[in-house]
Amino acid sequence: MLKIQNLSATVGEGEAAKTIINGLSLEVPAGEVHAIMGPNGAGKSTLSYVLTGRDGYEVTGGNATLDGQDILAMEPEDRASAGLFLSFQYPVEIPGVPVMTFVRTAMNAQRKARGEPEISAPDYLKKSREVAKMLNLDADMLKRPVNVGFSGGEKKRLEIYQMLMLEPRFMVLDETDSGLDIDALRTVAEGVNALRAPERGMLVITHYQRLLDYIKPDKVHVLAKGRIIKTGGPELALRLEKEGYDGVLAEAV
Amino acid sequence: MSTALKDMIRNPTVAELELVARYAALKADPRRERLFEAFAQTGLPHRRIEDWRWSDFKAAVTALDLPATPPAADPLATDGVATLKFTPQGYTAPASLPPGLRLLAKDEVQAMSGAEDAPLGALAAALSGAKNAPATLMAEVTGETPVRLHMVFSGPGAINAARVVFLLRPGAQLEVSESHLGGAAFSTALVEYTLQQGARLSRIVYQRGGKTEAQAITALIHQDADAETKQTVLAFGARVARIETRLVHQETSSHATLNAAYLAGDGYHIDFTSHVRHGARACITRQVTKGAVLDGGRGVFQGKFHVPRNAGQQTDASMQHNALLLEDGAEVFAKPELEILADDVQCAHGNTSGALDQNQLFYLRQRGIPLEKARALLTEAFIAEALEDAGDHEEALRAEAQAWLSEVRPAPRSRMLSSMRWQTRCAPLMPTCIAASTRWQTRRPKLSKLPAKTCAHS
Repeated sequence: MLKIQNLSATVGEGEAAKTIINGLSLEVPAGEVHAIMGPNGAGKSTLSYVLTGRDGYEVTGGNATLDGQDILAMEPEDRASAGLFLSFQYPVEIPGVPVMTFVRTAMNAQRKARGEPEISAPDYLKKSREVAKMLNLDADMLKRPVNVGFSGGEKKRLEIYQMLMLEPRFMVLDETDSGLDIDALRTVAEGVNALRAPERGMLVITHYQRLLDYIKPDKVHVLAKGRIIKTGGPELALRLEKEGYDGVLAEAV
Repeated sequence: MSTALKDMIRNPTVAELELVARYAALKADPRRERLFEAFAQTGLPHRRIEDWRWSDFKAAVTALDLPATPPAADPLATDGVATLKFTPQGYTAPASLPPGLRLLAKDEVQAMSGAEDAPLGALAAALSGAKNAPATLMAEVTGETPVRLHMVFSGPGAINAARVVFLLRPGAQLEVSESHLGGAAFSTALVEYTLQQGARLSRIVYQRGGKTEAQAITALIHQDADAETKQTVLAFGARVARIETRLVHQETSSHATLNAAYLAGDGYHIDFTSHVRHGARACITRQVTKGAVLDGGRGVFQGKFHVPRNAGQQTDASMQHNALLLEDGAEVFAKPELEILADDVQCAHGNTSGALDQNQLFYLRQRGIPLEKARALLTEAFIAEALEDAGDHEEALRAEAQAWLSEVRPAPRSRMLSSMRWQTRCAPLMPTCIAASTRWQTRRPKLSKLPAKTCAHS
């Protein structure tokens, strides 16, 4: 489903350009959840931004495809319409734009790009109510401007709300567990798991093994210095938790 | 007399000579003469006059026989609301007026306070009374029930000069909307509002002119004790357009809200100038101006609060101007001024210019919203605060802003990312306000990096 081959990318311009992703290869087949773990500065967030097309990053080598489609050549909005979703590590505040307006605009823009009819207002509201209930989101929150005045946990839950509304085919979750207490973590994981399906794939970026107790990965990759240095099953995450990155990294080199 | 006046304008342009001729054709009247003199001191204001440095009418109004564009459509027109129309051919009023509103068409020109400070307002007053318009149109508002009124100022023609003087009796309420739709080569409107004790004015202004037209809208507002004005303006500019509000709090506890939003496209210029005098104790002014400008467009904000030493104690005033430069080549000039001579006041001002936030744009695009739509959504949200006090008209004004934003052509990416020109000057004149010292900005900081400055005196 998602196939990354020998990907290299820099951040910054000209002389100041710095290589962050350095020959990274990774494949997530449809129906699987893969976790990416790694120390600070390994390139985890950069990978999520390069995949989704944020400005300021330059791909210097390799490629990435979603179901065979070259996503790196596409505009960010086109990648989204193709089914790629990023749950942001730091969700952005959008003053003056209510959540409802934002998500409905996004949903219809994606549908339009895919040649599908728009969602009707009653259908949207019905779906929104169901999703909000599952995530313990207050209905009032959805009338407020996106993320403005939201707590860290509320922001993360709103990311998952958007994910459940948009129903993407491939999800990148960038440190979705950071800033969550244990109850919120459980709620968020429940939302994420609801989207697990044979036709969907997921890349879960995290520092800690804790999240993987709730979102069980099929594979765990260790990212360091811009490439995958070790791949294993869920037990690898437990080992990392016990031995730390230093131990696993030393062994890999 | 006409020769003497002609001599008062130094090196008159063709347009200025035409204005002198039009004045000379009107019935002689010593008050009219004083008003025209006030205009003639400057002639059409130009960039060498400090208050007009960014809005040069002399250069813009080259001739008065330019083929003007058709007037814009009127989004504020409401069924069942009495409408006054001002055109180059004169003025029309409906046969029946709402209770509480009385119109008086006077043959004499009425004097105008501070005519020298508003030369284009003085010109409008000096030229009114041509064709079938009265020399002074007065409107008296009385009673407890709110009176609704709509006014349209539109072409076609050479000059559309109009004046109307409102008197709101104690406790009276007026909800007035004004649509300044262009259509004439040069339009200048003077609207005066005197609010007696406890009177309330809601004023909504919609301005949209053509690319070859010059428009000036001057409002003079005088407020007695406990009077309240709420003003909301949405402007799209013209070749040059100036919306000037001169407000005086002349008795205690009067309250003014002056909000404005502007959207300036390529070839459009919009100038907001305001002067608020806190001439009495414990008066409140709240001012929010928000704008967005495209390549080739120009926005100007000049706001001044004047707080005299004794009269202005316990003033509570805030002024905010925020501009978005949507493309390289967009220009915004801002001069917020606080002249505070009293020592027991709360005055704050904030002034920012910058590009759209790249993080916000990316966030919207990652959810599938195309770049142009994302830009429109963020810009609309940005100016929305300035429109939220427009009551019944908020929706119509937002729809106009939305329509404009949806028509904005896609900008090449390079134009969005390179640097933009802007300048601003903060000029608080009191030494106690030195914390926000006078300075010129020549670089473009990010919106978030230029915090609102607060000068609190207590």
